[in-house]
Amino acid sequence: MSLARQSAAVAAKDVRIEIRGRYALGAVVPFAATVLIAFGLSLGPDRTLLQRTAPGLLWLAVLFASVLSFRRSYESEGEDGALEGLLLAPIDKAAIFLGKAAAVFAQLVVLEAVVVVLVTGLFGLSLGASPATLVGAFVLGTVGLAAVGSMFGVLAESPRAREAIFPLLVLPLATPVLIAGVKATALAVAHRGGEAHGWLGLLLAFDVVVVGAGTLVFGQLLED
Amino acid sequence: MASRTTDAPSIASHPDAAAPVPAIALSGLTRVFGVVPAIVRIDLRIGPGEVVLLRGPNGAGKTTLLRVVVTALSPTYGSGSVLGFDLVRERDQIRRRAELLGHRTRLYEDLTGRENLRFACSLYGIDDRGVDEALERVGLGEAGASRVRDYSQGMRQRVALARTILRRPDLLLLDEPYAGLDGGGKDLVDSLVVEAAGEGRTVVLATHDAARGSMAGRMLFMDGGRLAPVPDPAPVAR
Amino acid sequence: MSTAERLMAKMTARRGERALGAAALMGLTATAVFGLLVTPPDADEGNVFRLIYVHVPSAWLAYLSFLVVFVCSVVYLVTKRIRWDRLAAASAEVGVIFILLTLVVGSIWAKPTWGTWWTWDPRLTTTAVLFLVYVAYLAVRRLPDGPGRRARWSAVIGIVAFVDVPIVHLSVAWWRSQHQAPAILHVAPRMAASMAAALIVGVVAFTFLYAYLVVLRLRVGRLEERLVAEALSPRLEVTPAHPAALPEEVPARG
Repeated sequence: MSLARQSAAVAAKDVRIEIRGRYALGAVVPFAATVLIAFGLSLGPDRTLLQRTAPGLLWLAVLFASVLSFRRSYESEGEDGALEGLLLAPIDKAAIFLGKAAAVFAQLVVLEAVVVVLVTGLFGLSLGASPATLVGAFVLGTVGLAAVGSMFGVLAESPRAREAIFPLLVLPLATPVLIAGVKATALAVAHRGGEAHGWLGLLLAFDVVVVGAGTLVFGQLLED
Repeated sequence: MASRTTDAPSIASHPDAAAPVPAIALSGLTRVFGVVPAIVRIDLRIGPGEVVLLRGPNGAGKTTLLRVVVTALSPTYGSGSVLGFDLVRERDQIRRRAELLGHRTRLYEDLTGRENLRFACSLYGIDDRGVDEALERVGLGEAGASRVRDYSQGMRQRVALARTILRRPDLLLLDEPYAGLDGGGKDLVDSLVVEAAGEGRTVVLATHDAARGSMAGRMLFMDGGRLAPVPDPAPVAR
Repeated sequence: MSTAERLMAKMTARRGERALGAAALMGLTATAVFGLLVTPPDADEGNVFRLIYVHVPSAWLAYLSFLVVFVCSVVYLVTKRIRWDRLAAASAEVGVIFILLTLVVGSIWAKPTWGTWWTWDPRLTTTAVLFLVYVAYLAVRRLPDGPGRRARWSAVIGIVAFVDVPIVHLSVAWWRSQHQAPAILHVAPRMAASMAAALIVGVVAFTFLYAYLVVLRLRVGRLEERLVAEALSPRLEVTPAHPAALPEEVPARG
């Protein structure tokens, strides 16, 4: 079975579990909404300020909420020790990484769609002008984010103090996603989507590097 | 201790083994967790096709030993081979051919019994047409369509048994397989062991249950992480 | 033993350690002399500029130690010899010191010069991100209960972080360039010869300091491992002739 098919099997399994458990709807999206409302309250009712900061707040909400998604992705592996089952299977361990990243990617994209709608309403963000840039920013940014989170989510699976380490590790490493994502989104919203190709290129480079590195070394995280 | 680097066929199918490769051969095997040694200097040979009973009190290290053999854990000291493949360097080959039925069922709670088995088939490259038959055999024919989350402990273990039926591993390791099962379930485990032995596959059965394990040809005893001294099996073909 | 291993053995022996310590001490003294006495104050910034003789070398070491962590991580994953993990860990622990130094000195420099403690300068900001990654690396090392797992997890973080940081730097630099704010280091065109010399002396001195601290840390690490091995040996009936003689340590033949 090729790497692609193995990854697809893992991804399909994760997606099916997510649909059954409805964790994204039940916990992740409400958390993002709560975060956004908190942002709005803390920055005050000045409309112009909120509009200017909206792209940043949007990505921050996604970033924080994504931590929940990554945890959940590995929680289902931890309930009955299924992760060990994946380790002991004669599949390329990178398929576990790629499959889980793909499944989380799908979840995060759904989350982002909801967050974008919320931000449009709460902060008066206008989405019209450069949909291609906007979509590009979210897709490329989410690939990188999903890769980083799915890689280190392994550390969050077992008990002990590991859960606190996970955000500390992931958020700094995901800095390029935050910076480039926000910049590209801000340009798209300001009808200057054409200028964003540098940022999109950066996101692409980040994606290639992180997915590539993960594919090579992920297996090492599983062995004991 | 033979050690192969190619994807050679397994013991059970090798036509003319002059000296049969041991199913398990361990030398000085030790596994430490932090500063706590769980198994200490285990020297062991189990020939192909043997059915071995492993007894010992709680905390004796039976679980750790089985987990090291199936390569879920790596040894801290010592070396070994399983089915002729090196314990440290040829783990994928061992994983393809050995299975551990242990404390944890390795199931996904939100998937149905059938979906769990289908996924396991896809991981091991097994045709999933046998899934329904396996579910029937373990008595989960109808329950196979419900989520594992709704299963009792005994039902969960039966799914794991069904997985073993589908996989037909050359080396079958069982760690307290009778716990949580009713009489019918325990008989099911026994039938699996007998079937495997009949096909020349190797079985190691670790259990407290004094009433079970009569089909074993040999008994090993563990305590405090060590194996009670046991003579080598009679030379089969030397 | 290969040349690299021979060199390592020489450096980590007690004599080597003392030699490095002496070299570091001399180097630091020379740096202080150069930086405080020999070089003139900067035309624009005055004496505050002298902080550069600490800031640049410590930044250099912060990134050098990170490079060492990366190389050791890769070599460890390839060879599975635990000595590379020990070196990576030592380098990381020493590296954190230099990162903190870089950030603190950078801050102190920024306050009188630009009026704020933090200027989001790309190099400083990337260094701050690197600091967080290091903290996470060291925190993760405390979690597993086996040296093999700890080494593997650390190696993965070391590798992924290393390939990520250049991208972080690039993104911060682009982000900053849109806001026309000055970088902390704008030294090249106006350097007097003595200033350049002082910088070089500083870099060399700090490198010796780094090497000395790493060797020191490796020795402490060996003592720790011996303690563990001795705690185990009565139960294992193994005399710890070779600390942590993990199967990974023994070269595998056949």
